[in-house]
Parts: sequence; structure tokens; C-alpha cells
Amino acid sequence: MLQAAGSGAIETPVNQPLMEEGSQESRNSAPPVPTESRRLALETAGAFENEGFRIRDGEWHNSLSKGKEVFLQVNLFAGNQYWFVAASADNSQKMRIVAFDASGKPIQGESWQDGGAHPRSRTALGVAPAVSGVYFLAVELLDTPGTSPVDVSLVYAYK
Amino acid sequence: MQTGRYFAIWVLSVLCCQGATPSASVILPMTETQKQGALFIDALSVPSPGEVFVAMNKACRPNWATLVTSISAPVTTERSQLALGVGVLAANGYIAVEAQDGQQVKNVGREMMQVAKALGISESLMGRGNSLMQFADNNDWEALAEELEATENEVKATMVGQKDKELVSLTSAAAWLRGVEVATAVVLGSPTLQGASVIEQPALARRLSLQLGDLPGRVRQGDRVVMVRDYLDQIAAILERVGAGKDPSMEKKRNEIQKIHELSASAVVSIMASANASPTPMMHSIPIQASEGISNIKAVPTNTPDSSSPSKP
Repeated sequence: MLQAAGSGAIETPVNQPLMEEGSQESRNSAPPVPTESRRLALETAGAFENEGFRIRDGEWHNSLSKGKEVFLQVNLFAGNQYWFVAASADNSQKMRIVAFDASGKPIQGESWQDGGAHPRSRTALGVAPAVSGVYFLAVELLDTPGTSPVDVSLVYAYK
Repeated sequence: MQTGRYFAIWVLSVLCCQGATPSASVILPMTETQKQGALFIDALSVPSPGEVFVAMNKACRPNWATLVTSISAPVTTERSQLALGVGVLAANGYIAVEAQDGQQVKNVGREMMQVAKALGISESLMGRGNSLMQFADNNDWEALAEELEATENEVKATMVGQKDKELVSLTSAAAWLRGVEVATAVVLGSPTLQGASVIEQPALARRLSLQLGDLPGRVRQGDRVVMVRDYLDQIAAILERVGAGKDPSMEKKRNEIQKIHELSASAVVSIMASANASPTPMMHSIPIQASEGISNIKAVPTNTPDSSSPSKP
């Protein structure tokens, strides 16, 4: 939130930088340290780079509870191919990603589940939309050994 | 029976080869509540200009070298305009990457550092600037595309760290507008409007406009923010018209895309104007004759087999 320095009663012209007092040390604050979940997600997505995919720099990062899926809106382009990758640093979390079109109907995709070093804690979905536009992703925690919410990161790659 | 067994084995092997995982349960369609509650995250929900251009490459193979333009960072202390400028510059960087124009990439990198300095965030970006230069020198175009996005995101993250998170929406909106400007130029250069489907995203235009409408009072009411929002609304309205029309004629569609091109181009010019220049007067929809529309556009030739323009590896 842009805030005027000094008294809140003073009207500050819009063309002057508006900085909170005492924010000098945050001026060049380093970005947050990537989580282990993000690192795993990026490592998985990195495999698709060998096939010409580019990984987007952004991520969705949050906690998932079993049975409570989270929906994300994305905008995809016809002709492009996408891989959406979700990962958790906690082993044995079974997750699923499903894609839906703008009307909310599930669309066909190719699923991948990690059965290796991080059993079930990484999952990916590949889609190739026929039409450009709004799509939705559902990220769901299907199974977990514990009861606490699980830290999950989702990234995607395209080509 | 043996035939059935062999068929089952074949089906299983096909499934395994394709990496398909049979779903364990039926997936129901989304409800309206779920759709309305879906998260919209700038870093994932707004496509990067790189995605747009990759799609354009598939649809119509633009001649990117003719689309490269040198744009200087606006000279201003207005943070809203600087944030908008970052978006335009980032999009320009992607164009330079597609054109494999290393010098232009470096120019974009320098201009982005200028804007970052004006925003007071240049220190944290020095490393990114150096990486851009290095990748450009090495002609590492894939790495450059990723580094450009990372640089843009780092600017955004630093804005958030400086309690300026609303500026992030401005950067995304401006990048999209510049992307649309370029994409419409490419489409208009095709006699059959190849690639038009890539730009037909009215919902995205509306969402970007809505985000600007949700900005805090003073930022929302700034001249350039009002202008950008108006352009987004006009573009969204045209895209909705194009999408709703049943098989519009080529001439009508061309007119509409021409309007979108002019609106987005005007938006970019106003965004990048320096502080002593007032924003370009807002354009409103005007009827354009087909021939006028075509003559107003500098046709952007698409790559042909005989073209000597650089091609993407």
C-alpha cells in the first residue's frame, strides 16, 4: 500500500515517490528463500526442459488439507503444450492435478506420478488446449499419513 | 481367448508407454461457486509475453526481426508509470529474444535497470542485469527468456517487499498490452488473419482491468492508471464482440483487430512517455473502413521458406 511519509494529513503529489517511513532497509530486500517444495517442483519441471519446455518463474505455494481441493485460474493458448507440476517436501503425500475448461468441464490430459525417491509427493499433468482462454486447475491432496495441512508448491512449463 | 489376452497386453503397454495413469475416481465438473472462488495469481494466472509469442510462432511464424523496436524507459518519478514501464520493457525483451537480437536484449536489460533504479530497487537486480548480458553474449535464448521473466518477477517481488504490491498489477497489465500490440500487428499482416485465436482472450483483459479497479484510491485515480484501465476495457469489449459474433466476416474481424492494435499501441506510447509529456488522449472506438485499416498498419511479413530472417533454434 502506497503511504505518504510524514503526516497522513498532508496531500502528497502523485509524482513524488511515496514511501513508508522506516522502510529504507526493505528497499533492497532479497526475495524469500525458495521452499523445499518449490525446489522439488522445479526439479521435476526441469525434466521437461529437455523436451523444449520453458519453466515459468512464478509459483503457487500454499498448504493443502486432505480432501480440500484448491482451484487456480490460468490462461492457456491453443497450440501450446503445458506441464503443471505440484510437489511436496513431505514424502508419501498423494496429490492430483486436474484441468478444467472455462465451463468447468474436466479436460483430457496426461498424468504423471512420482514413484521414485519421493514416492507420491510429486505429480504432474500435461495438457494441450485446443482453444485459447481461461482454464482452471484443481490441486488436491488425496492421501496423507498425517492430519496437518501439507506444504505444496505448483509450477508450470510450456512450449 | 488368447486374442483377448493379447489385446489386453497391448492396451496396457500403450498406456505404460504414454505414461497414462488410469484415474481412480470420476472427476465431476466444477460448480459455479468453485469457478468464482478460483485463485487468480499474478505469477501463474497472467500469461507471460513469452507464452503469447510461443503460441504466435506456432500459429503464423512471425518475422520477429521486424518487430523489434527500441523503447527507452520513461523519465519520471511516478511509481505507477515506472511499474507500467517495467511491463512494457519486459515484453520488449521477449520480442528481442524471439528475434535473437542480442544487442536489443542488452538494451532492454539496461533500460530495466534504469527503471529499477528509479524505483529504488536496483541493488537487488544487479545480478539479474549481469546474467541478461551474459546470456545475450552467449546467444543462450532459452536461458534469456527465463531470465527475463525472473527479472520481471524479482522487480515485482521487491515492489511487494517495499509495500508497493499494487504496482505488480500495473506491470502485468502493461506487459500484456505490449504483447497484444505486437500480436495484433502480426495477425493483421496475414491475409487470412492467422494467429487471431491467440489474442482472443476477453476474460483476461477484463480481469486485468478489474485488478486495476481494485487498486488503492490514489494509485487507481492516477492519470495513466485510468487510461490503461480504459484501454483494457475497450479491448475487452471488442474481444467479447468478436467472440460472440457468429462467423464474422474477414473484413469485420480485421477491423476489430485493427482497433485493438491501435488501442494497445496508444496505451504503450502513453505508458512510456516521459514525465513532461501528458498521456496521449484516450482513444475511443471509431469506425474504420477496411481499406483504411489495412493502410494504417505496417504489414508484418511472416516467415516464408525464402526468408533470410533468423529463425528460432
